[in-house]
Amino acid sequence: MSYQVSDVAIKELFGPIERTDNSMVSNLCVLCKGSKNLCGKDRCSLMVKYYARSRTKPLIDSLDLAGSSPPGVFVGRYGYPKVDVGPLVPPDFGDTAFMDTPEGWVGKPIEDICDFRFRLVRGKFRVGVKDFQNAGKMMDLTRDLALSVNSVDVEANFNKKPSGKIVLDDEIQPFGPSARLNNFDITNPKYDHKVEKAFYDTDMKAVEAVTSLYKDGVLISKLQKAFSIGAFGVERNRRLVPTRWSITAVDDTLGKDLLRSTKTFPPIGEWRIYDWDQLDNRWCVMLMPTSWRYELIEAWYPNTAWNPMGKQIEVISSHELFDGRKDYAEIGGCYYAARLAVNELLMKERRTAGAVIFREAHPGYIMPVGVWNVRENVRRALLEQPSKFNSLNEALVHLGNRMDIPVRRWLSTSEVLKDFLRQRRIDDYV
Amino acid sequence: MFQSKLRSETLKGVVDVVSTLIDEAKFVIDANGVSLKAVDPAHVAMIDLHLDKAAFEQFSANDTELGLDLDKLRDVLRLSKSGDLIEMRQDEERNRLVISVGNITRRMNLVSTEGMSDPKVPNITLPAKLSVNIEELQRGIKAAESISDHISLNANPDGFELISEGDTDLVSLKLPKDLLVSLDCKDPVRSLYPMDYFSNLIRAIPAGTVLSINIGNDLPVRLDFEIAGGKGKVKYLLAPRIEND
Repeated sequence: MSYQVSDVAIKELFGPIERTDNSMVSNLCVLCKGSKNLCGKDRCSLMVKYYARSRTKPLIDSLDLAGSSPPGVFVGRYGYPKVDVGPLVPPDFGDTAFMDTPEGWVGKPIEDICDFRFRLVRGKFRVGVKDFQNAGKMMDLTRDLALSVNSVDVEANFNKKPSGKIVLDDEIQPFGPSARLNNFDITNPKYDHKVEKAFYDTDMKAVEAVTSLYKDGVLISKLQKAFSIGAFGVERNRRLVPTRWSITAVDDTLGKDLLRSTKTFPPIGEWRIYDWDQLDNRWCVMLMPTSWRYELIEAWYPNTAWNPMGKQIEVISSHELFDGRKDYAEIGGCYYAARLAVNELLMKERRTAGAVIFREAHPGYIMPVGVWNVRENVRRALLEQPSKFNSLNEALVHLGNRMDIPVRRWLSTSEVLKDFLRQRRIDDYV
Repeated sequence: MFQSKLRSETLKGVVDVVSTLIDEAKFVIDANGVSLKAVDPAHVAMIDLHLDKAAFEQFSANDTELGLDLDKLRDVLRLSKSGDLIEMRQDEERNRLVISVGNITRRMNLVSTEGMSDPKVPNITLPAKLSVNIEELQRGIKAAESISDHISLNANPDGFELISEGDTDLVSLKLPKDLLVSLDCKDPVRSLYPMDYFSNLIRAIPAGTVLSINIGNDLPVRLDFEIAGGKGKVKYLLAPRIEND
């Protein structure tokens, strides 16, 4: 009896044998168990999460939790327009503001960020986004807490011990386990009187509140919290905005507002590149001596947060030309965060420029830590002394020396650079 | 000093052809009329416009400049209907333009012209020249718009062709010599242009216009046409895209 015959018999009984490629086990983690770095990441992201969690776990293994909220709140998006809302509370007392102030996180290693973020227990209760105004005491306290400038002591009682998966997301900063709240109480919050004024002004549009408070120096993380908790806007339009959406809404609103001015300024006089490295992300921010145009290009190495199983580098980008874009950027919220950061610099210099941001996420970037990573690192990059060049070619040579990905790959991806190279200007013929 | 009366449709024609490229414009005025030179913010297209004083019902002026927000002018035009007379007067003391339509008067602050440059008009020799009824082109643009982000203009001694080629589809508008008003072309020429710009320019040109198109190989296109019944002249220049791969 030949091998072929039994194959046919088996096929008749069980259907064709599925062909699998055994050279590549689909889940390497099973083989590695955190010890062999088979995935290629510098450290095991599961283990980093596990250790952060195991340090927090004994502290929150109870139905009651007392601690100082940074302040922080989270508005979920699942089930919209009925969403889970509530405070973020760590098992720590004192000034915990840094835990929910991404503006101060640049320079911290990924383990530290995970460590304190995973201490934040998310208390939650369910509210309709439009009828939150009269949703009861817990909602009112959550809002009061969100608007506070200092850390607020919270005593919470859950209906189950906090549990659940640790959330990792490209848009939002990570946080720890969660539990439904039976009730909670807070000590008196302190308000920023400018934010408070906007909160009580029920005729002021949300866009106006966000832009004017930003000009008064209120931190973006504060604005975003107030925005998500429905503290801004014309009375009847007020609603809860899921945290993830509110981050992009605030970045987009502020960026667009700055652009209205920066677009009209004269262009910078030279090509510039700002270099910056952080969390194994390599950044080059290129400013072009042209009118406004903008692109964010991200290259994800195999085995980084968003390219876990890939065998090759994935390069993705979104861009806009002078008139901006109408649809949501393919690469997500970080597009708007970086656009804001660039326009802050242009506003300061009272100049316009084209901007192309090149980002290489290397294998040390083992897990996503939120859009703030892009905003704050582009802001930080723009504080560096830029290298200045007379031409695109010189700037590209610098880019080629700085980055691992060859210039031709960047060029073939970049719509802004392709447009610059192909589209002639009237000035070329004068 | 500037004081004038003109028909609402004359003003509308001017606003239409200018506002497709810019939001604020610096009009330069002298005793002979009004002119404007401007490039769009991305410096890809340019307009060079002159409106002779004969286009106005009444015109008196000496050398001055007016910085105007074109959206505001459009608002004023909404108050009028075709045939209405619009009166415009510069209030130099308050740096305003006073516009009257019937019994309505609007005083508008002028826009600062300080930041608005005086662009030089490139002097380019374009080997091929043809003229065509604008409706033909507008139909072609409508068909080609969604196909690709660029469009090629081709001319040869037998006619003119617009081609838009995308990844999956191709649209062409072929106008043989007998469908053109005139054609002066010795050797075939071809240039490529950004679709959004080209279609916006073509759509801004009023119906009934005979458009003169001047093209070369990988050179800007110049579109010449008349407004205000021949008493105004407009030149558009649009820079090409160069295929280099």
